[in-house]
Amino acid sequence: MSRYRIPGMGRVDPAATVSFTFDGRTYQGLRGDTVASALLANGVHLMGRSFKYHRPRGVVTAGSEEPNALIGTSRGKGRFEPNTRATVQELRAGLTTESQNKWPRLSFDIGAVNDRAYMLFSAGFYYKTFMWPRSFWDKVYEPFIRAAAGLGKSPTEVDPDSYAHRNLHTDVLVVGGGPAGISAALTAAKSGARVVLVDENPEMGGSLLSDPSVRIDGRGSWAWLAEQLSQLRAVGVRLMTRTTAIGYYHQNFVGLVERVTDHLDQPPHGAPRERMWHVRAEQVVLAQGALEKPLVFDGNDRPGVMLAGAAQTYLNRYGVKVGDNAAVVTSHDSAYYAAFDLVDAGARVAAIADTRDSVRPDLLDAARKRGIQVLTGHTATATEGRLRVKSVRVNPVRNGQVGAGRKIACDVLLISGGWTPSLHLFSHTKGSLTWDADSRTFLPNHKTEACQIAGAGRGLWGYGPVLEDGVKAGMAAAQALGRSAEGSDARVEGDRPGTGSSQKELPTDRSPGKAKAFVDYQNDVTAKDIRLAVREGMRSIEHVKRYTTNGMATDQGKMSNINGLMIAADALGKEPPQVGLTTFRPPYTPTSFGAFAGYHKGATFEITRKTPIDPWAEARGAVFEPVSLWRRAWYFPQAGEDMHAAVARECRMTRASVGMFDASTLGKIEVAGPDAVEFMNRMYTNPWTKLAPGRCRYGLLLGEDGFIRDDGVIGRMSQDLFHVTTTTGGAARVMNMMEDYLQTEWPDLDVWLTSTTEQWATVALNGPNARKVLEKLVEGQDLSDEAFPHMSVAECTVAGLPARLFRISFTGELGFEVNVPARHGLQLWKAIHDAGQQYDICPYGTETMHVLRAEKGYIIVGQDTDGTVTPQDAGLDWAIGKAKKDFVGKRSLSRPDIVAPNRKQLVGLLTEDGTKLEEGAQIVLDPNQSLPMTMAGHVTSSYDSVALGRPIAMAVVTGGHGMMGKTVHIPMPNGTIRATVTSTNFYDPTGERLKA
Amino acid sequence: MTTQRHEFDPTPFLVEELPWAPRFSLRVRPEHRAALAGALSLELPSKVGQRSTAAGTEVLCLGPDEWTILAQDADALTTASSAAYAQIPHSLVEISDREITLRISGAQALTALTTGCPRDVEAMPVGTGARTLFDTATIVLWRDDRQSFRIDVWRSFLPHVHAILDQVLVELKSGL
Repeated sequence: MSRYRIPGMGRVDPAATVSFTFDGRTYQGLRGDTVASALLANGVHLMGRSFKYHRPRGVVTAGSEEPNALIGTSRGKGRFEPNTRATVQELRAGLTTESQNKWPRLSFDIGAVNDRAYMLFSAGFYYKTFMWPRSFWDKVYEPFIRAAAGLGKSPTEVDPDSYAHRNLHTDVLVVGGGPAGISAALTAAKSGARVVLVDENPEMGGSLLSDPSVRIDGRGSWAWLAEQLSQLRAVGVRLMTRTTAIGYYHQNFVGLVERVTDHLDQPPHGAPRERMWHVRAEQVVLAQGALEKPLVFDGNDRPGVMLAGAAQTYLNRYGVKVGDNAAVVTSHDSAYYAAFDLVDAGARVAAIADTRDSVRPDLLDAARKRGIQVLTGHTATATEGRLRVKSVRVNPVRNGQVGAGRKIACDVLLISGGWTPSLHLFSHTKGSLTWDADSRTFLPNHKTEACQIAGAGRGLWGYGPVLEDGVKAGMAAAQALGRSAEGSDARVEGDRPGTGSSQKELPTDRSPGKAKAFVDYQNDVTAKDIRLAVREGMRSIEHVKRYTTNGMATDQGKMSNINGLMIAADALGKEPPQVGLTTFRPPYTPTSFGAFAGYHKGATFEITRKTPIDPWAEARGAVFEPVSLWRRAWYFPQAGEDMHAAVARECRMTRASVGMFDASTLGKIEVAGPDAVEFMNRMYTNPWTKLAPGRCRYGLLLGEDGFIRDDGVIGRMSQDLFHVTTTTGGAARVMNMMEDYLQTEWPDLDVWLTSTTEQWATVALNGPNARKVLEKLVEGQDLSDEAFPHMSVAECTVAGLPARLFRISFTGELGFEVNVPARHGLQLWKAIHDAGQQYDICPYGTETMHVLRAEKGYIIVGQDTDGTVTPQDAGLDWAIGKAKKDFVGKRSLSRPDIVAPNRKQLVGLLTEDGTKLEEGAQIVLDPNQSLPMTMAGHVTSSYDSVALGRPIAMAVVTGGHGMMGKTVHIPMPNGTIRATVTSTNFYDPTGERLKA
Repeated sequence: MTTQRHEFDPTPFLVEELPWAPRFSLRVRPEHRAALAGALSLELPSKVGQRSTAAGTEVLCLGPDEWTILAQDADALTTASSAAYAQIPHSLVEISDREITLRISGAQALTALTTGCPRDVEAMPVGTGARTLFDTATIVLWRDDRQSFRIDVWRSFLPHVHAILDQVLVELKSGL
């Protein structure tokens, strides 16, 4: 048994020893311990070094609000985690832990020189110290700050753990498994509601776990607790332990993170480390309790100084005596009970120094009976002890005068500055707070969500009132759900009621300017920092916070916000609510990235959409590129070919004979109904009325602003049916836009839209021999130019498959696109590939498609357009139905800035020296102008063209359409490139090849 | 201390890919629903989520003017649709190949769905359906029994959905 473990106390298992290491040394703890309780059982208080001053620090709390005892934990390879709270991490066999922020070792740390030089590190020291000289910023200051900033080592290995995700709907979600939460959950569940009760601890019970002497309904609190839990289970309440409610969002949407395996010696195969729960609750009951505040005085951060409530928890819940000889400094009654429990367990309490002048007589009696000296009206002014507190100096305060100090020897100093209701989740809802002048604390006020707040979380104290309040909250939740709930009374004996007084930093007889009286342990903010911030002009607590970093550490000021506010308010001579309270934001406690990512890592990081033809491309060694969520074959390299060679070959073979391309990713929308043509007229710029069934047309889609949004070929299958194609990336967007107009602007139209993107697999055939290949496979359609001219569409059979066949071209060659039901896509592809063998058919990828279309000046929406390009800018005036009354974007096309002559217009560029331009390169008209030069536009597309024997480019250039034949300049790092402005239609400008 | 329960279930749920079957999306204005139902010899439920089954044809109402039809006789349906079109304007589009259907069944089928579906699946009555999400993929969810569901997933989204369900299976087998 460890030196400080008390047999027979605590909820740990004395028969189950668990070994772990801390800074390389092996310790024994018990099953049920946290790392903190196990170290304390071994007499270890020193657990870390502080962030800024590298001061030795010990554990302060017994919960998730711990600011000091942040450690690195490792559960094996790849499973290192920095900044784990020793008070939260449960012991498990083989756990390796280490302290942080120390070098060379925890007990002797070079960085502690900062502590000696603390005058340099006052509030705002970054702003003051690193201001000048300016030239030092990049080379000296920023690297220094980056090296110094942060706490703990970032993991460097890939996280091998898995993380999970669940959705959960419930009638009532109760957050906090203490007495109030348990009462609320049971009351609501008995009304028949579905209830979920969550608690961040390994077991339910909250404060009851630290107060076994209280009796409820004639039983010890632990027996009562066990019975309540079995009742909760019996009525079907879902009990979730090790589960933190991290955020409370709109409409009672609450995020929970469940720690599933971190506490297990041998997690079963496949078990996730953590699980994120998205809970949607009809009613939420917040029963989060209250957090104890420290007192602020010189030396209140030495190892061995801890919250009184934490000491009580270590004793009762873990059977660990935090010291042999305690001293107590308090401003709240609750610390007395901690002292009593310690004495009753065999420790000595040297004295209780109370800041208050009068204390409840029953507490004084109980203290006297235990031989504890109580010093009322006292302040604490100093502590001693380097790696562990040795003594505390206390002084009487009379009429505001601090008297002579006396030293009280101790090996642990328990402090309590009272309790702050935990308002975090309530604040996430933007619920308003009210300042309670009596208890000098903020309480929840106006609610914005369907929630109830119960217990210490709304300022109540003592088990009787808290249990009663929990029942009330459960009834209120049930009634809000339209259920009738019955109340119940709990009889509490030996209750531990309490009140306290709220404090700023404690008065001292020494120089307050030299006091290291810590307000925020995690960020090393002292009381004098806050007063300095006020002196230097900070008026709002938001400014004080940012200037001093008070409350900005990962604990979000759970312990420091209120103390900081009290001091700032005092310095400003205002009431605290006039100075304000900073906003709490999710997550409530630090949360792993893994919990947020859930299943979205590795192969399921993001959806990768593949076409039915994708397996063929993969087997052929295609190189893929992502296009929106799709992966598309980019090019098909043959042995020894690089991308350049492969693309050149694909281009050459397609123009020379025939190429085939998987166009299945194109968006497809079936537009059907008597008003289909009217709808098309209104959506697209083009006129559709006269387009005969069996014909197709290039369609251009604008936004209301007149800028190009999407394009594609659209076939009229019958009078009332259009087969619309969209860009690959635009499919969902176009569908949404169309539905939006249809439902909100034109609900009178009898037309319906159905996405058929994935109904069809599409193979494009291009090249002079395309018809010869296809003819062998097509039944039911004459493919001759007379019977099936360019821009035709027909339903027929291809390779024995029902098909929609288009004669269209995105290459300038004779071209067809065959659509078959997607399940037949691969079969069609193979049939065409086989049929094309005698013509050396060449499968090509998206890169060749891009080159071939650029040679013809066909735009790609999103590459040659960027959301600011009009049809005129792109040279697509011809696609506008000038006689149409209206279409989306029509009115914008006559806006003065849209018809202005000097807009950026799409043109071709040919470099004089034959270099290939870089896409995105900026264009200037005069390369000799002074810097910064006036940019006239930029290159949008650039390729080596086999057909033209030179590189070609497309670009948007100011007034480009009026600059044909003129020279522009493209300044690059290695010199300025000259290029001639041309038409974008580089290849076969008269279009003879299309008509073959 | 609470002890963690380990319930090892060798098959928490089963995922089966169902064979291809003719599937259509039907759209018609609510006021023409009854007339069209008569013309197509279908029962078209009027409430979103409701289903009907008659002569091997299943219909699910997905919106006030939208139904998914799993047709027993696709030719008869399209023929009747063409015949009725002039009188009752509507849209009947074949989507047999757009989606692939998975059946998810077994003791923890519901739990498996809650990993990716934000809807209250538990509260969904048996014999209803809904358009919803699984992870980031749109699905149509059919509840056939307390622990038996079908999900229709767009073809290219299916591997992702399947891969997540595979992970969930491993997770549920762990008992945690």
